[in-house]
Amino acid sequence: MKIFSNPSQQLLEQSLNAASLRQKTISQNIANVDTPNYKAKKTIFKHQLDKALEGQRLSAYRTDDRHIPFGGKVSTSPAVVVSRKDTMFNHNGNNVDIEHEMSEMAKNQIYYNAMIERLNGRFNSLKTVIGGGK
Amino acid sequence: MTIFHGFNTTASALTAQRLRMDVVASNMANVDTTRGRFVNGEWEPYKRKMVVMQPNENRFSTHLSKAMGRSDHPGNGVKVSRIVEDQTPFKLVYQPDHPDANAEGYVSLPNVDPLKEMVDMMSATRSYEANVTTLNATKNMLMKALEIGKG
Repeated sequence: MKIFSNPSQQLLEQSLNAASLRQKTISQNIANVDTPNYKAKKTIFKHQLDKALEGQRLSAYRTDDRHIPFGGKVSTSPAVVVSRKDTMFNHNGNNVDIEHEMSEMAKNQIYYNAMIERLNGRFNSLKTVIGGGK
Repeated sequence: MTIFHGFNTTASALTAQRLRMDVVASNMANVDTTRGRFVNGEWEPYKRKMVVMQPNENRFSTHLSKAMGRSDHPGNGVKVSRIVEDQTPFKLVYQPDHPDANAEGYVSLPNVDPLKEMVDMMSATRSYEANVTTLNATKNMLMKALEIGKG
């Protein structure tokens, strides 16, 4: 049993990095809300978390082949920034949707805080173990 | 990309929006200025100014991450590249006793439309507020990150 390099902790670290990058991307979009011809950007990391769960490290017992497998190993691929092309354009070629960005930011805040709470929870568990339950 | 990258991005936007606000203030202040510039021995009215904004791409970090083929660079915020003058014609008003009236008694007044300026001002204010919200959110995230492992 690895104490600090186990999969869930690595996932937490990656999620924190990705959430931080997403915050920067949202900052950039909101900064350019009035810039003509600016194309909004988006940070993608969720699919990588899903992909991470595909590889099997802790494989679940399946009674039927049609059951969805779960458990997995940690992917080391970082989050990426891509341009959003699925949105409507403004009259000046800018496609930043300020409502979308602000709600994404609110989501990202909660997500980030949740990840930090979870990380702290892990550290506290380790502390309890190291202290012998005292 | 440093940990304060998000702050720098938002700060550039705050600066740009503030400049927009200054330009609006200048336009509003000069709404009746008939002697804006002295050209060829004649006074020309004030011309409405506008800011031109563009994404701030011309930074070392942007070029480096592009050259390295990295896809995790969000950008360096925004900058005001130029302040341009509105080329729409001046308003002509019949005021024969005005010192700057022409031979027919018409005075050219600046091409400033207070309505446009008000709309621009609202837009700049709202964008500024959105960026302040973003700045606070980024700050809260960093403060929260400092709590990791405090238990």
